[in-house]
Amino acid sequence: MVRFKSRYLLCEISFASPNGWQHVEEKKLHRAILEAIQKAHGDFGVACCAVSFAVKYLNTYTGILLLRCRKAHYRLLWSTLAFIHQLGKKETCAITCIHVGGTIRTCQKFLIGYNRQQLLRKLPTCKSEAERTALQEAVRSCTLQELQEDVVSASEEDSN
Amino acid sequence: MACHERMEDDSGKYERIVHKNGSSYHYLKISLEFEEDTSIRLNSAQFKQLIISSLKQLFGEIGAALPFDVLQFEENTLSAVLRVYNRDLVKVWSALTLLGSYQSEMCAFRVQQVSPFLLALCGNSRT
Repeated sequence: MVRFKSRYLLCEISFASPNGWQHVEEKKLHRAILEAIQKAHGDFGVACCAVSFAVKYLNTYTGILLLRCRKAHYRLLWSTLAFIHQLGKKETCAITCIHVGGTIRTCQKFLIGYNRQQLLRKLPTCKSEAERTALQEAVRSCTLQELQEDVVSASEEDSN
Repeated sequence: MACHERMEDDSGKYERIVHKNGSSYHYLKISLEFEEDTSIRLNSAQFKQLIISSLKQLFGEIGAALPFDVLQFEENTLSAVLRVYNRDLVKVWSALTLLGSYQSEMCAFRVQQVSPFLLALCGNSRT
């Protein structure tokens, strides 16, 4: 069966200044990345990547970004992310790709594990006991949620 | 079977060496033609800059950084010999094809000959 295969790039944005987050929207990001591809890879790059390019998910609190691209040209997009150093005219930022997946679900699975790792990394830097217990509770709760999500999705697949 | 016997006989022993990628470069003989007779003259630096600008338009900064050399340039006929790496040949050739104008004058690159060996560009190898 023939279908269009995509690659999903799970990326993390970090800003130089803490108030860079207010101006970030999906449409702005979409345009900024296409402009960066035009600059780095020219007309050919834009023609390759823009066909099925979309910003699928953006979380301004954790800085997680999910981009979709055609399978044949995801490396073009990946290499362009290294050249992006500002969105619009003001905010200096950096985008790093943390995972490449074939479907949104695999990226989500990776993201759950990654977030858990990040939470555990923040544990030693907790300043108060309340913060520490809240963090430990968060780590524990995200483990439970993963199991529940799997059960729910499995039952959905069975019913379908 | 006959081949095998020949190999065992010492007098008929032979060794065949095949070079798949004989040269790591490709050489292009090109010339720049303007649509109308103009008095535009380019020197070799401007010529190379023209090719780089076409690469930049089509393939971006990364394309414009592809290393290539103008080995020979004739100002009167605006013809040149370029040397590119094998992996860059397609990109450089397509950039040459898609260039349309220089200083708002219509022009085109004519690619006359392409060869992995420079010697092939100097004459007809069949005569």
